[in-house]
Amino acid sequence: MKTITLTLKKFSSIALEFEELIPDTIYNWSKEDFENYQVPVGNSKFPLTNYFDIEVEGDAEGPEDVKMILDGDMSRVKYIGYRMTAGEIIVNGDADLQAGAEMIGGSLKINGNAESYVGREMRGGSIEVMGNVREYCGTSYIGEWRGMSGGIIKVHGNAGKQLADCMSGGEIYIGGSCDILAGIHMTKGYIEIGGDVTRWPGGQMKNGAIVIKGKLSSLLEGFENEGIFVDPDIEGKQLTGKYIKYKGDIGVNGKGSLWLNAEKNRNLL
Amino acid sequence: MAYEEPITDYDHIVENCTCAFCGSNCDDLDFLVKGNHVVGVRHACRLGASKIMEDEDQRLKVPMMRDENGELQEVDWDTALDAAAELIANAVRPLFFGWSETSIECMKKGLKLTEYVGAVIDNQATICHGPTVQAVQNVGYPLMTLGEVKNRADMVVYTGSNPMNAHPRHLARYSVFPRGWFRQRGRFDRTLVTWDPKFSDTAKMSDIWVPFEENGDYGFCNAIRAVLKGKELKEDVISGIPKQDIIDLTEAMKNVEFGALFFGLGLTHTLSKQRNIDIAIQLVQDLNAYTKWVLLPMRGHFNVNGFNIYMAYEMGFPYGVDFCRGYPRYMIGETTTVDLLNRKEPDVFLVIAADPGAHFPGGANMHLANIPVIQIDIHWGPSTELADIVLPGTFIGVETPGTSYRMDSVPIHMKSAIDPPETCREDEWIVNELYERVKKIKEEAK
Repeated sequence: MKTITLTLKKFSSIALEFEELIPDTIYNWSKEDFENYQVPVGNSKFPLTNYFDIEVEGDAEGPEDVKMILDGDMSRVKYIGYRMTAGEIIVNGDADLQAGAEMIGGSLKINGNAESYVGREMRGGSIEVMGNVREYCGTSYIGEWRGMSGGIIKVHGNAGKQLADCMSGGEIYIGGSCDILAGIHMTKGYIEIGGDVTRWPGGQMKNGAIVIKGKLSSLLEGFENEGIFVDPDIEGKQLTGKYIKYKGDIGVNGKGSLWLNAEKNRNLL
Repeated sequence: MAYEEPITDYDHIVENCTCAFCGSNCDDLDFLVKGNHVVGVRHACRLGASKIMEDEDQRLKVPMMRDENGELQEVDWDTALDAAAELIANAVRPLFFGWSETSIECMKKGLKLTEYVGAVIDNQATICHGPTVQAVQNVGYPLMTLGEVKNRADMVVYTGSNPMNAHPRHLARYSVFPRGWFRQRGRFDRTLVTWDPKFSDTAKMSDIWVPFEENGDYGFCNAIRAVLKGKELKEDVISGIPKQDIIDLTEAMKNVEFGALFFGLGLTHTLSKQRNIDIAIQLVQDLNAYTKWVLLPMRGHFNVNGFNIYMAYEMGFPYGVDFCRGYPRYMIGETTTVDLLNRKEPDVFLVIAADPGAHFPGGANMHLANIPVIQIDIHWGPSTELADIVLPGTFIGVETPGTSYRMDSVPIHMKSAIDPPETCREDEWIVNELYERVKKIKEEAK
């Protein structure tokens, strides 16, 4: 097991790009390799040691043996865990844009808030965010119709707008509330939202399932009521309580299912 | 409105000039020229005519730099260009914003400079029709040329835009009033519909006004799509519109021969942003199962569309293109101007043919006040107050010829009618000169 600890010593207002510092590339790096590494900042590259104190302990045979710890405010460190296939990254602080984007395997834990595009086009592995995430979590690249296709994202706080657009697989769990258009253009996968949702979940969804345990303020006309189910089994997940099931979005002949907690959404009964 | 005497005191007329104001790019203007000044403009709307004629008001005529007291002082071209090149060459995160009111020829030089220094290049689409471009990338672009609308359309819908105020000749020249090949009676052969929460000047002259509630665009379009698929609406009132009105409107839209939907910033900048356009495009796609429908964004500046077309053609991305790693990248929220400024990332800002001082959010302008700003423009404006180096350009379409793209992506050559002031330089020349000087500094540093 190899533990790499990067402790922030100087905050850069221009974002650092960390897509090369993933377990897949650094598992055999020594401390000297890190000290010689130049990190991309804007149109230049500067020594990593300008920004971080570096500690390396132990050895690794492959990326799966790597544990990378980023201590400090990482709100200007982009692409943490970008395209990683194995290993573990822990961020003790906030994370910037594109954390865990296009991730294939391994795990990423953010003990703080994360910016937009967490787990964009993620294919596997797991991401856990202890705080909130902003817009476009688990989403697709602009214009791409396949978003997140595998893996698990767990957010303990709230999620911003357009969660998981064009999602085509995988699972997302949001502990808190969620803003507009969760699961827009979704074709497959599972989204569970613990808190309230403002408007329009599942706009133009073709398939997949969205579960809302809190109150929904506004439902789209493209959804048709299919009745109330007690303790439903949704895509292999056993829920407890009464849920109203909707099918939609009719605008795209969708067969997606939207499940609303019946107790919290009595106005729709 | 007071009667104005026709202008008779002029030397000669320059015919078929193109208006350098809005995205309609009217190319039938006649400029009345006297002593190297445009004293009158025929055929243009008031907005276009006033921009072309009252050009001398607050015109930037000489290069300027801030002195130690923070006042802009006149300097010679070499000093200003060298200082600007020095700033750009030493920047880590330079950002070049604007380009929508200059020619494609100038953008070409700008892109060369951007790529060479590894900067971000962005245009006004980032604060106007950017969501449209994103939606088009997601679901396609059922567009037409304005000539098709003129000759064929029997239903014209305006939503989230008020062309009577913002694009005054749009209805008169392209969409509603002109007599077309299949619409010989002009306005009488067409139905004009406005979907807008406000009773705007366009709504006042429309046959049908659909006042959906603010931020109700997505729900409203979704309801029309559900009706088109044969679903019975369950709510009595959807987005502020009674159920029966939506059904009647859908029926009317199905039964036209050629429909055109024009949308503006009212659609791109309400709650669900690009998803409003996304669903509007899909609505148009659905309507094409019954009859011919097309859609077009009402672009603002005369060449804002040109920048998007040029960048998409050259680099594959329409706006907000980041070259900091040597290759083009594009990500909304990451490489777009306002987000970069809010994150306080850029360390040098070049603004050409744009006015961020007037149009950007306060937080973004606060960062602009803290970093060096280079301005290339023809008029004194709020951005000049933020600028540290001012380089006076020339007026495309009046003083300098150039290429621009109309809102329906038709390229138009804009000719010049008068000579530019002696102390000003063409935008294209300035940007090219910056490139040459930055190159010299970078090569000397090697």
